[in-house]
Amino acid sequence: MEYQESKTPSRGAHSASSTMSPQRNSSELDRLKAELKALGAAYAKIPTLPKEERASYGRELNAKKQKLTSQIQALEAAAEQEAASNLPPLDLTAPMAENAPIPSFLTADAGSMHPLMTELDRVVEIYQRMGFDVMESYQLDDEFHMFDSLNFAKDHPARDGYDTFRTAEGFIPPAHTSTMQHRALKANLTKLKQTGQIAVVIPGRVYRNEDVDATHEHTFYQCEGVYVSETCTLGDMLGILRQFFEQYYEQPLNIKTQPAYFPFTEPSLEFMIEKPASLGGAGKPGDYLEMLGCGMIHPRVLELAGIDSSRYQGFAWGGGIDRLVMLRYELDDVRHFESAKLTFLKEFSC
Amino acid sequence: MLVSLNWLKEYVDIKVSNETLIELIASRLVEVEQVIDQTKKYNHIYVVEVKSAEKIPDTHLTLCKIDDGGRADAKKLVRDADGLIQVMCGAPNVRKGMLAVWLAPGATVPASVNEDAPFLIGVRKMLKTFDSYGMLAGADELDLGDDHSGIVELDPASASAGDSFAELFSLNDIILDIENKSLTHRPDTFGIIGFAREVAGILGQPFVTPNWLTSDDTKDFPHDSTLDLAIEITDAAICPRYTALVLRVDDTAKKSKYLTKTATLLARSGVRPLDPIVDLTNYLMLLTGQPLHAFDYDKFLAFGKAKTPKIIVRTGRAGETITLLDRQTLKLTEDDIVITSNDRPVALAGAMGGLDTAIDANTKRILLESATFSLYNLRKTQMHHGIFSEAITRFTKGQPVAQTLPVALQYAALAGFATPLHLADQYPSPRPESTIAVDLPTINGLLGTSFQQNEAQTLLANVNIPSRTSADTLIFTLPPWRTDLSLPVDIVEELGRLSGYDNIPKTLPLHATATPNSLISLKTALRHHLAARGANEVLTYSFVHEDLLRKAGQNPDASYRLVNSISPDLQFVRQALLPSLLDKVYGNLRAGYHRYALFEFNQVYSKNRPLDADGVPTATHQLAFLYVSDDGQETYYYDAKLYLESVLAFCNISYQLRPITDDTAAPYFVKSRTVAIYDTTTNQPLGYLGEISPSILKSFKLPRGLSGFELDLTALLDASRSTPSQSFRTSTYPSVSRDLTLPLKNTTYASLYEKIRAVLDKHGLISKITPVSIYRQTDTLDAPPTVSFHLDFAHPDKTLTKSDSQTIMNQLEKIK
Repeated sequence: MEYQESKTPSRGAHSASSTMSPQRNSSELDRLKAELKALGAAYAKIPTLPKEERASYGRELNAKKQKLTSQIQALEAAAEQEAASNLPPLDLTAPMAENAPIPSFLTADAGSMHPLMTELDRVVEIYQRMGFDVMESYQLDDEFHMFDSLNFAKDHPARDGYDTFRTAEGFIPPAHTSTMQHRALKANLTKLKQTGQIAVVIPGRVYRNEDVDATHEHTFYQCEGVYVSETCTLGDMLGILRQFFEQYYEQPLNIKTQPAYFPFTEPSLEFMIEKPASLGGAGKPGDYLEMLGCGMIHPRVLELAGIDSSRYQGFAWGGGIDRLVMLRYELDDVRHFESAKLTFLKEFSC
Repeated sequence: MLVSLNWLKEYVDIKVSNETLIELIASRLVEVEQVIDQTKKYNHIYVVEVKSAEKIPDTHLTLCKIDDGGRADAKKLVRDADGLIQVMCGAPNVRKGMLAVWLAPGATVPASVNEDAPFLIGVRKMLKTFDSYGMLAGADELDLGDDHSGIVELDPASASAGDSFAELFSLNDIILDIENKSLTHRPDTFGIIGFAREVAGILGQPFVTPNWLTSDDTKDFPHDSTLDLAIEITDAAICPRYTALVLRVDDTAKKSKYLTKTATLLARSGVRPLDPIVDLTNYLMLLTGQPLHAFDYDKFLAFGKAKTPKIIVRTGRAGETITLLDRQTLKLTEDDIVITSNDRPVALAGAMGGLDTAIDANTKRILLESATFSLYNLRKTQMHHGIFSEAITRFTKGQPVAQTLPVALQYAALAGFATPLHLADQYPSPRPESTIAVDLPTINGLLGTSFQQNEAQTLLANVNIPSRTSADTLIFTLPPWRTDLSLPVDIVEELGRLSGYDNIPKTLPLHATATPNSLISLKTALRHHLAARGANEVLTYSFVHEDLLRKAGQNPDASYRLVNSISPDLQFVRQALLPSLLDKVYGNLRAGYHRYALFEFNQVYSKNRPLDADGVPTATHQLAFLYVSDDGQETYYYDAKLYLESVLAFCNISYQLRPITDDTAAPYFVKSRTVAIYDTTTNQPLGYLGEISPSILKSFKLPRGLSGFELDLTALLDASRSTPSQSFRTSTYPSVSRDLTLPLKNTTYASLYEKIRAVLDKHGLISKITPVSIYRQTDTLDAPPTVSFHLDFAHPDKTLTKSDSQTIMNQLEKIK
């Protein structure tokens, strides 16, 4: 029988056969849902009751609520099964349906890649050419990696500057890719002994607990860099960062720094580049763009990762990717990035 | 923090231009968020003497004649024979003989300069008869406070008619708005003196710290034993030092009605001038970074119900409350530090004073507090009660203990309105002097510089950090306000910063070869692969609403839950990407897109997965793909399958599609149209492919027509690596093309395909099998469907004859 029914998969016949009993079901479902909703008012009454009655009244309500909820769930599950069983069976190993054309790909011009991911790839590729390994950042981490391993004192106000989200289980969606520094150092101890250096970049998604508007997102992307050797200097750090941006913008660049404060680097700096020609900086010297925070890795951070800070030294940096994309495409609203709106995405077709 | 350059210049000799100075501050000290130019704000404003003041009957107005010393030169200005100017004034305190502030025609009301339409002063006809030129201004109009009760009066001892108002108080100023965050570790720079010390340092000049700031000599300070002031600190960790002064208010002086320079400095620094007693505490805080608090001594005594004052500094107790100066009543926590009068809380330490002991117009005696508190406790207070006062901003940076006494003494010295009576200082464990030793090679080796010993010593001596040498080692003695310095690297930072990081030569270290990251390379390749096939890459939030999980059939209990989310939309860490993609379909359909594919690469987390060795949740790196079409066909499953198979082929994976056994695995797919994807070589699961379940579609308000897949990228990578690469074979002999149609009865397409493949392989052929159609007669009820293939095959070593081909085809046609 079932087989025969499925033979005529015309839309009308199919929907006619599937509406009969679900209709009965759905009226029952509506009734139960209304009843559940009515419980809200009953709960609201609790504070008006005499104290000694509240507990038993509340228990009764909870039991009733639980029963209703499970009834509703059962009905919903049944409705789903019912709907599912009315679908004609398919040969799931076949490349196409019976009497249907072979499906084809959408046209290539409809496709697009997300500009943030494209930019991240571009950044990572340049660093790889410069000799940096790549490691991906975590999207859930703990207090140790986010703060302790980075020389943030316990309960120090510096922790507040990061507006971190926290989970009930005590984890932190990291607010910076620096959350990976400790791991990057530890994972490369052998490499440090063998080759005399650690050179890693760590792209990843990070989070800040703040309201979203045209220039603020709670979710964004950063790329971290970590370099350790016996002899590297702050001058090397500035040289490497300048080289990166010169490759990225395909032109020589003037750079500038500003002192900054991060507990995990000392000295700490903000790194700026003079606006490149491709961003409209031609003929406008003195217009600088803040690109990232950087500094010499604090000896305590090295020691915590098991690196002898009297022998090795290093530098690290971290910068936003979103901003690079905003600048490149002259975007004025960060909210586009996570909107998944095709109207926006198709601007970046391949 | 707002820093007045004019105030700064009182402590450091600045010979460079303002532009150069700001540039240097930004590159060697702190981020300057904004430069507020006030050099023109007080143009055309003069000190005038009111020569006559006649009340106009039945109005609040007074007709005045003023003497501006002949300074104003506005075109339409009319002077009488004596050179006086007529101006109408509505303030009650205007009177003959006073020195007032006059906005000449052409001036802009200073309080309005930042408004969209600044208020430009001109000539007005008042009461239809009197010409009024310019206006006499109140403190609020001058942007020097809130006071609107009358016009500003100036002290004849320091001003005279015709003076430029701006010059009198050096109001032609530039204000720097400083980004506090970049000075989190530098409590000493939260005062003008500390800031000026750094400016001297970056200009390469020695700074002279005012003597009073380091002097704690109290031997000449009055001592009134009858006051018997007791200070008790229950725990030195919460309050390392508490200094208290008692002063008697000199009535006549306190009621000074004249505008003071102190008030103008407070206003420029963003602090509201209130009352001379309080203004002086704020002035010293802005100058030194050390917050002070003034209690009404007699209220303090009465509130504690004690004969002699007893200050007890302790933590809050559960159930205690306090009403603060801003009239809000707080429930104290055990992390709050409170100042108590004989154990009754009178102030929330470091944050705000209490209302019960507030200074008012009748205050006779002042109890002045100059103390330091645990920045950790104060941070909790700040967060818990949401108090962001100027004082707590400074205290949470960790103010130096050494300054409490000198700053308190300076209050007594500057308080012209009061006479000092008594002093008490509780400092349980004084800090010893400390030094930092650092080798010159360490400094140069870390920065990439080539400092000589004396250069390094001078740079730090300029900011009052003296040093001596011992061979290659420099030993620096730390001044008490540099609480941020403790390690050799701290000294290195100071040297790099003060001499200018930008002067360090940029170099490139040698580097080793990078090791590629296969997972990232795979993602990059697949992004290109899918986009080239018309799919659109999206990014969606890692956090989702509980409703989204439920709508997608997922159990919220398996999700990590955010506890401090700004929005219910961001409550749970997502367990899978497909629900997020489903959530983005409705909007795109509405926007007119009816056939498209979305995909996302991202991490997902579930509490059902084990933690890693560090105890941190492990991510699943997922690829999710969703095909959308609302064109009314019935078998969407095959759309997603096409894409899945192209991905698997691209990764060179041999795979099997199996019926699903785990009911909870991918709840958004309809069970009868879902398969689990397995790697044939390792027998590892790779993910799921299926049609989105009708009930899920309903809950997302979506039409039928969605199918998709999700893949575990780590598994995909493993599978891709474990599959031996297939040898790529071609034949130089002609290839034969044939069509083959077989019934599909009691078997699946896949097994039929495998049987065809087996026959062709058995003959050692190089072959290609292309499906053409699956056809079922719609008018015959019981006939099975037939599958048609197009076959191309060739033999690697010979030309296939007609009879060879026929033999092969005969065998193929017998397949069941």
